[in-house]
Amino acid sequence: MDLQYWELLTGEAAIEEEEEAAYRDIWVVAEVEDGALTPVSLEMVGKARELAAALGAYVHSTLLGEGLEDLAQELIHRGADGVYLADDPRLAEYHLETYTKVLSDLFQEQKPEIILFGATELGQELAPRLAQRLDTGLVSDCLDLSIDETERVLVARHPVYGGEYFHVSTFLGVKPQIATVRPGAFRLPFADEYRYGDVEEIAVDLEGIEGKVKVLSTSAGEARPQVPLSKARVIVAGGRGVGDAEGFALVKELAEVLGGQVAGSRGALDKGWIDKEHLVGLGGVPVKPDLYVACSIRGDVHHYFAMQEAKFVVAIHQDPDAPIFKTADIGIVGDPKEVIPPLLAELRTG
Amino acid sequence: MRVIVPIKQILDPAGFVVHRRMERVFVNVENYIINPNDKNALEEALRLKDAHGAEVVVLSLGEPRVDDALREALAMGADQSFLLTDEAFAEVDAAAAALILGKAIEKIGEYDLILTGQRALDTGASQIGPRLAEYLGLPQVLEVRKVSSLDNGTLRAKRNWEDGYAEVEVSLPALLSIAPQANQPRYPHGARIMNAYREWKVTTWSLADLGLSEEELSPLTRLQREAFPPERTLGEIIVGTPDEAARELALVLREAVDW
Repeated sequence: MDLQYWELLTGEAAIEEEEEAAYRDIWVVAEVEDGALTPVSLEMVGKARELAAALGAYVHSTLLGEGLEDLAQELIHRGADGVYLADDPRLAEYHLETYTKVLSDLFQEQKPEIILFGATELGQELAPRLAQRLDTGLVSDCLDLSIDETERVLVARHPVYGGEYFHVSTFLGVKPQIATVRPGAFRLPFADEYRYGDVEEIAVDLEGIEGKVKVLSTSAGEARPQVPLSKARVIVAGGRGVGDAEGFALVKELAEVLGGQVAGSRGALDKGWIDKEHLVGLGGVPVKPDLYVACSIRGDVHHYFAMQEAKFVVAIHQDPDAPIFKTADIGIVGDPKEVIPPLLAELRTG
Repeated sequence: MRVIVPIKQILDPAGFVVHRRMERVFVNVENYIINPNDKNALEEALRLKDAHGAEVVVLSLGEPRVDDALREALAMGADQSFLLTDEAFAEVDAAAAALILGKAIEKIGEYDLILTGQRALDTGASQIGPRLAEYLGLPQVLEVRKVSSLDNGTLRAKRNWEDGYAEVEVSLPALLSIAPQANQPRYPHGARIMNAYREWKVTTWSLADLGLSEEELSPLTRLQREAFPPERTLGEIIVGTPDEAARELALVLREAVDW
């Protein structure tokens, strides 16, 4: 006889389960930027709904700041069953100590089974600190989450060595199970204006909290041209083979029409068409856009390492033997100077 | 003034190949390096040494081979080094690693700053810094691109924040994690590398030296398996005149962008 069932027969397993049930539900720590919820907050709510279905649990979200009542409703429309709102002028600005205190008080009281943070500056700063305070485990920068239903544990897939491959990690019976989620990893859930949920105010106790980290100024007010290349969703990149500045202007125009950012390979940098902030390749930033269009980039190994996480790759190159065609989903053998103008015309009329 | 820099030794990615179809990692050359981002932290500490005469202490957790990483750090200019090694440390997770490093730092004693790298290349995690700060009860400033000033126990730094940056002030002692953009780590002088092996010493501490027991190190998370991205299939090549190709590509792009 399989001894696994013995515990079930004697009821030992049932008792164990009851103890564990003290930790329940999935909590999403929502983030606010410029008075709006960040996309990753909503993406997490969507994923949490799926996980909650497997667990038979509710999805709650926390919202910290001032005057956020409307945003709480949006979280509910996107799939949260309830929102715990800490509406307090002292939380209007983010401070490490106050946010950690409010969240750890809340989670110690509510005992979540799973807590999700965005893998953003804020999440990467708060999640490990909370995990340490709550004496529990954390998996960072997850690209996928699922529930192992036999063990009732969270299973998380996260990239290692810059996305070369993945580790699938799981939790060893500790609760809450905390994960930070890569922005863009999950789909944005649909908003259902008729969804209804509870908004509950959290008591904010900041007695004896002294802010040892003061924010003196931020670049928020300054006119920032664009999101950094590493976070761009569409990138059009040009290489030396576009020929001259005129050719590169076409690359820029294509980027504009596609609503993306312009970038370049090492060759474009050497020609002075781009600066180092827009370099894809050795010494540049790794990019992970949804769409990457490479115009006259041969695609050496450094370029590949920098753009390997792009979801859809289009290559236009004169040389049919260029290595870039091995990584491209769609390729056109041709001169970008001849292909881009009709492409622009086509896209504009569409 | 004392600056402590915990560093991690990792497998050199130049020595292995990831085979997506076979779902295996083939290690051709088993070579170990200091996590590149941890070198940025060490470089920042060494700059504080150059500017303010700080004493730089490096420590690392791992197998006895980590000795090489510590000697490299000494050659770069660190003053003292500690190797935390024990059979019980073989399979620690982030929480246990933070505990071991925390105990070692308490044993080292007084300090003003702890500098870590922002991210470990091998696991992609950035947990140790904040966990260590929480354990030691320190304020933390992450993703620092520039240490702007340091006087009277107050440090000003510029950090990455929400697609931009923020200028922050923190009272010491504190923990900072250093972004890769912060600096270009120096190369050690050849003679210093010789000295690092011949003259200078690395202090080794074990489980017992740190007053820890094995139970305290039981892991909270576990690596279940490795997973691999789908093999890149050979893409489709659109043939035809530039006009025809452009028309077809426009259709594909419109679909891709509207997504």
